[in-house]
Amino acid sequence: MVRVLHRLVLMVLVIWLAASINFLLPRMTDRDPIEERLAQALGDSGGSAIGIEEMVAEYQSKFGTDQPLWKQYISMMGDIAQFDLGVSINYFPDRVATHVMAALPWSIALLGTATLISFVIGTILGALTIWRRKSAWLARIVPLFMILAAIPFYLVGLVLVYVFSLSLGWFPPARGYGVGVNMDWSWTAIGNVIYHAILPAMSIVLAAIGIWALSMRGMMVTVQGEDYMNFARAKGLSNRRMFWRYAVRNAITPQITTLVLAFGTIVGGAILVERVFVYPGIGTLLYNSVLLVDYFLIFGCVFILILTVAVSLMILDLLYPLLDPRIRAGGEQHG
Amino acid sequence: MHAVVSRGLTVKDLSIVFETDDGVVEAVRGISFDVQPGERLGFVGESGSGKTTTALSLMGMIDPPGRVVSGSAMLGDLDLLTLSPREHAARRLVDIAYIPQGAMNSLNPVMRVGEQVEDGMIDHGADLNKAARKARVAELLRQVDLDPSVARLFPHELSGGMKQRVAIAIAIALNPKLLIADEPTSALDVISQRQVMQTLRRVQDEMGASLILIGHDMGLMAQFADRIMVLRRGLLVEAGPVRQIFRAPQDAYTRELIDSVPALERRPATAPPVVREASKAAEPPVIALEGVSKTYKRGLFDRKGNQALKPLTFSMASGTPMIVSVVGQSGSGKSTLGSLLLGFIRPSEGRVLAQGRDMHGLSAAERRERYRTVQAVFQDPYAAYNPFYKVDHGLAEPLRNFGVATRRDDILAKMRSACELVGLDPDQTIHRFAHQLSGGQRQRLMVGRAMMLGPKLLVADEPVSMVDASLRSSILGNLRKMKDDLGVAIIYITHDLATAYEVSDYVLVLYRGRVVEAGDPERVIKEPQHPYTRLLVASIPWPDPDRHWHGDDAAEAELAALDGAGAPAPCLVRSTLPGFTLKV
Repeated sequence: MVRVLHRLVLMVLVIWLAASINFLLPRMTDRDPIEERLAQALGDSGGSAIGIEEMVAEYQSKFGTDQPLWKQYISMMGDIAQFDLGVSINYFPDRVATHVMAALPWSIALLGTATLISFVIGTILGALTIWRRKSAWLARIVPLFMILAAIPFYLVGLVLVYVFSLSLGWFPPARGYGVGVNMDWSWTAIGNVIYHAILPAMSIVLAAIGIWALSMRGMMVTVQGEDYMNFARAKGLSNRRMFWRYAVRNAITPQITTLVLAFGTIVGGAILVERVFVYPGIGTLLYNSVLLVDYFLIFGCVFILILTVAVSLMILDLLYPLLDPRIRAGGEQHG
Repeated sequence: MHAVVSRGLTVKDLSIVFETDDGVVEAVRGISFDVQPGERLGFVGESGSGKTTTALSLMGMIDPPGRVVSGSAMLGDLDLLTLSPREHAARRLVDIAYIPQGAMNSLNPVMRVGEQVEDGMIDHGADLNKAARKARVAELLRQVDLDPSVARLFPHELSGGMKQRVAIAIAIALNPKLLIADEPTSALDVISQRQVMQTLRRVQDEMGASLILIGHDMGLMAQFADRIMVLRRGLLVEAGPVRQIFRAPQDAYTRELIDSVPALERRPATAPPVVREASKAAEPPVIALEGVSKTYKRGLFDRKGNQALKPLTFSMASGTPMIVSVVGQSGSGKSTLGSLLLGFIRPSEGRVLAQGRDMHGLSAAERRERYRTVQAVFQDPYAAYNPFYKVDHGLAEPLRNFGVATRRDDILAKMRSACELVGLDPDQTIHRFAHQLSGGQRQRLMVGRAMMLGPKLLVADEPVSMVDASLRSSILGNLRKMKDDLGVAIIYITHDLATAYEVSDYVLVLYRGRVVEAGDPERVIKEPQHPYTRLLVASIPWPDPDRHWHGDDAAEAELAALDGAGAPAPCLVRSTLPGFTLKV
């Protein structure tokens, strides 16, 4: 129990520190988002530039950006503590939370599923390459995935778009759902979303399988040399039991660490894929808000990113004793 | 005419080769033997003798590039060597079971003990429902003198002896006809070793199974086996009843193996410690402990902690080379003492003084000098080398680091003399990788490396527990030579009383973090008084089949009474040693 509490305090500390950095960084540019946004709005509507100074000042005081930095910081931290991410400059008067929450499910669904699929396939493939050294199909397929792993996944994505969308026309090239599809929870809508997700998901899965397989392979080699594997064999256990309960069960622990960390970085890691596929996720949102120096929206996106990383780390910490009974004993081990 | 079907195991003309890139290695060459039900056959030989390879072939576990080229192994009317891998796997545990070496790591760390006893039964189709299986697990654990509640524990929660017992429980689960025990107690201290071997002997008698014990410990063999086979380089050197082998060995190699066991009867002459350099005797002690204790705490909230070493005060004078042994079981605090002497850990109380200076209050330059003058040799001669470099790298680095030698040819000369000092040929050693050297060579080189730097104190923590018996004496000889010729003070930490008897001038017996008996080896080890020392000595398996391995029940009872009494018994100081001051 003490351990859980300790972890919680640490998590809050990490979030606070990261949020502070996140607050400062975008404010170090000398661009003024409000001025730019107003100039753009005026340009769009063709209105006159007279009085823009006053408008900028008016909006600045509304957003609080005319205040000294430390005052902005304090008021922001106060808002964050109440889970208030403020108002977007770009999408004024929409709230930041509205946009973040609209984008988040897309990213989580796409990247979460893709990561999980590649983890399962990659881990099993990696384990099998060691377990079945004689298998001909494994000897061919695994190196192929290793090569794919060496190519950045957005490049894989571009190739996939070219082949399966632009050339063959099997899948849509972009967007999260079809134009004119009504986004309710009907089968048509869900089917449409999956249909659109296949190519971006594929690009991630193809690129990630090799990495999972490679690290699992390394762990399996280590585990195979352990005395308990030899004893398991001497017991004449079934191949299936030795593979799952003895080899994979011991080799998978570091894989799960990586998996949980990967979930934590889903939100940030998706920017390039989402850009390539114009996917309505948090990556695209973050990209757009950076282009416009929308302090509040940037902060909102990155804050979600920080939250997911911190929460995954904590989950990992609490999960680890379940994976490895040796950690359950608690406290430091002394020789 | 009916062929007589033997009820035990009959092996005829077994040959096994390993086809490597460098040619064919004949690991086992035409060996024949048999084991009757209820009989205990000992396989003796050094690493590379083919003893484990022979056993693995019976288990069907010889992997390419290894291959059984000829022979038969009849277990009843079944020829084990003709079985397909799948058929052979099905016979394991059912007909033939293996008790592994190093049970420390033989259990799956993420599975509960009970489950690991059960899974063998399940996979070999034992017709039992879940409740019956659980009951059988409890019965098996009781059979190996464990509490049935152990089934719910994970391996890391067990002691080494308990893990070894679990391995035995696994092996006997399906009543096999043949048990193969491969150095089952090599990782255990003498007291646990004796207890585990007694258990093994009892369960084998109860089952009436044949048993093959593999090992290189002639003492254990003398105490345990009915018959012995001596193997060397894949050939059968000699075989016969245990008394014949020990009383009238026919082969010189057999005699060599028997003689390599340190025995209390044969204590080599060694120079008694004398003040050799009177000028140095006035210097501060080489090492001194002033009320040093060490308490380990588990986590922030453990107020009390575990006091691994109770307050200890002793000092070793300069100019008086001596070997002081620290003996005790695992958990007695002897390795903690070693780490304190080397300055690896800080004492919880008291001070460790090297040449009169507190080890933990030194300037950077002084600390360097202290690292040079206090050297160490550890247990594992494999882990001490960086596998990516040739061994000269590991030798040259400390020379440069401590400024002992800086020019290339100086360094080379130093390295060569270090090799020669420990009886290694420099040309065959320096430019090799660690894996190209044998375990014994590696360990001797470690001793040479430590010596090269001209230390005043050497802390040797179990330096011979992982090398073959015949190499043991040469490494111990190196230690003695260092004391006699180079005047180095040595602290020899071990669980092996026989080697402590062989090399030391003074012995400290450590029990639960406290020195319980101290004195010269003649008194402490040959005429022990403290019940703990008595128990330790009585647990040593002597290389003499007629000397009964009886243990010491009276000592055990006395020790239990002492433990229960609360207040610790005072340390028995049997004799003193000039230059060594122990305060109790």
